[in-house]
Amino acid sequence: MGGSFVLHRIGVATATIVAIVMLNFVLFRLMPGSPERVILHGTPRVTPELLEATRERWGLNDPLFPDQFVKYVSATVQGDLGYSFVARGQTVTAVLGQRIWPTILLFGLGEIVAIAVGLALGAYSGWRRGGVIDYIGNGVSLLLYATPYFLLGMVLLLLFGVALRWFPTFGMTTAGASYDGPLDALADLGLHLALPLATVALGLIGQYAIVMRSSIVETLSEDYITTARAMGLRDGRILRAHAVPNALLPTVSLVAINLGYVVAGAITVEVVFNWPGLGTLTVEALQARDYPVLQGVFLLLSISVVLANLLADLVYGLLDPRVRT
Amino acid sequence: MSAGVLTPDQLQRERWRLRLRATRDFAGRYAKRPDGMVGALILLAFGVLAAAPEAFVGPLQTAVSAHGGRLDPPTAGFPLGTDEIGRDILNLTVHGARVSIVIGLLATVITVLIGAVVGIVAGFVGGRLDGALMRVTDFFLVIPTFVLALILTPIIRDIVGSGSTEVFGIRMTLIVIVVVIGITSWSSTARIIRGQTLSLRERAFVDRARVVGAGPGAIMRRHILPNVVNLIVANAVLVFAGAVLTETTLSFVGLGDPFQPSWGQLLEAARSVGAPGLGAWWYFAPPGASIVLVVFAFTLVGAALDDLLNPKRRARR
Repeated sequence: MGGSFVLHRIGVATATIVAIVMLNFVLFRLMPGSPERVILHGTPRVTPELLEATRERWGLNDPLFPDQFVKYVSATVQGDLGYSFVARGQTVTAVLGQRIWPTILLFGLGEIVAIAVGLALGAYSGWRRGGVIDYIGNGVSLLLYATPYFLLGMVLLLLFGVALRWFPTFGMTTAGASYDGPLDALADLGLHLALPLATVALGLIGQYAIVMRSSIVETLSEDYITTARAMGLRDGRILRAHAVPNALLPTVSLVAINLGYVVAGAITVEVVFNWPGLGTLTVEALQARDYPVLQGVFLLLSISVVLANLLADLVYGLLDPRVRT
Repeated sequence: MSAGVLTPDQLQRERWRLRLRATRDFAGRYAKRPDGMVGALILLAFGVLAAAPEAFVGPLQTAVSAHGGRLDPPTAGFPLGTDEIGRDILNLTVHGARVSIVIGLLATVITVLIGAVVGIVAGFVGGRLDGALMRVTDFFLVIPTFVLALILTPIIRDIVGSGSTEVFGIRMTLIVIVVVIGITSWSSTARIIRGQTLSLRERAFVDRARVVGAGPGAIMRRHILPNVVNLIVANAVLVFAGAVLTETTLSFVGLGDPFQPSWGQLLEAARSVGAPGLGAWWYFAPPGASIVLVVFAFTLVGAALDDLLNPKRRARR
């Protein structure tokens, strides 16, 4: 891979992250009401002296630029995102740290399942274009695409959690349960994971299948497929060795671009199932107007998405020499 | 007609004749797309509901005018059951159509307006301005704009305050959502329009206009814009579907307005009283099905329009 291509991509990603950090600063300054009142929120009898002392203590008397901005940037770079308004005494970084793992577990697994099933479904229906699977698969994919994640979650919860009672519907583990061993605990986690995971995967499968299908259809009209057919290769081999690898390319970038939307879905699915991840944290922070936590979530999610996109760009460059410009 | 010069009057008439023929031609081709027609019919039905909800179910029921039981399943009197304070779900869903669709339309207008202006200016002017605009566009393309919308909505709401002013019959709280959706989702429109503008800029008629002495503003308005309108329309349909989904999701995480419930707000209410856990499917099925149907219909119409109007796709077939 060309060095300049890699450097350029990394440069763009870095610039984007810098812009995100700056936007975060601006957002905080946009908020109405002076910051010292926010800090002193709930403190009885605020005297002018106390107000002044607070302003001095938090550097609010310094000019916005460069003093406050530089302070903010250097704190952010060191991972200091301030304190949560709600979880008193806890740093935003600590709060985010507690809630990130359930989200990674849920969405990491969800993505894997969706990529595997979605791409297979898309490849098959594109291959057998006009067939029964294609017809049904396309309709279902479009419907799933039109369904908000949380609605899907509510339906699954009603069907499999309440009507059939197959799965628990609340949280990550059974409250107050004592386990006989690690396997027992894992089984409990798995049961709790089933419905939210199914929701995430189903929500994504539609999109991946649609893109993979059109990508396969496009690839099949390429000359090298005709050549492969002319060489007398068997269908299965043409699909696996020639069509799928080439059709995968556009899907790689789609998966990355999609991450931004997945994040939105993540937030709502977690709310439906009370999954204790970043999504429920976001909604709690939203309801309590816990701005530092909200900003931390924005910073964390945006930077993750940018990095994932960078990774996808580099992988794409590795797979397809044509884009290395 | 081929002999001599047309008078301005004749020219005008000739223009209309051609335009009418193009429209009829397009309608004919659209009617041959079963998916597009199904989508259009669904949208028509919801459009009628949204235009005059009172005519179908009477005024919006409130906690005061509610007269049903608490979370009653569907009965003859309440065909879709009742919510936790006894309001008729049918009434709420039909009124929700107006709120959801109007918010979606307004947000689409803002999104497409920003996207088209940025795309045309960037593509036509080119150079540094293009570079700068596209950098901003790419920024909005890559960051999770929903999370940005999530933070912007309460901040802007705190700034403008919660007055009872209404715009287009929509409360200020929801207008904030409209604006936030608009300023966070224009980037893909700008990209598409810019691409088309770039190729139009090189066409002969643009050169001719320039030679005749038309300024850049006039060229963009009179020569570029009419040629990207098709693309804008096809894109707007997809933007609308996205706007409805975004509004629904924002309402679902608690940023809606309980006094003017959209479908998303109804779903939020259903979730917060635990309707799925209580088996009260009638609370969230009607607004949920409405959202899915409307977004589905818009996707169908959008795909059909895109096939017919997008010059790239037309060339491929």
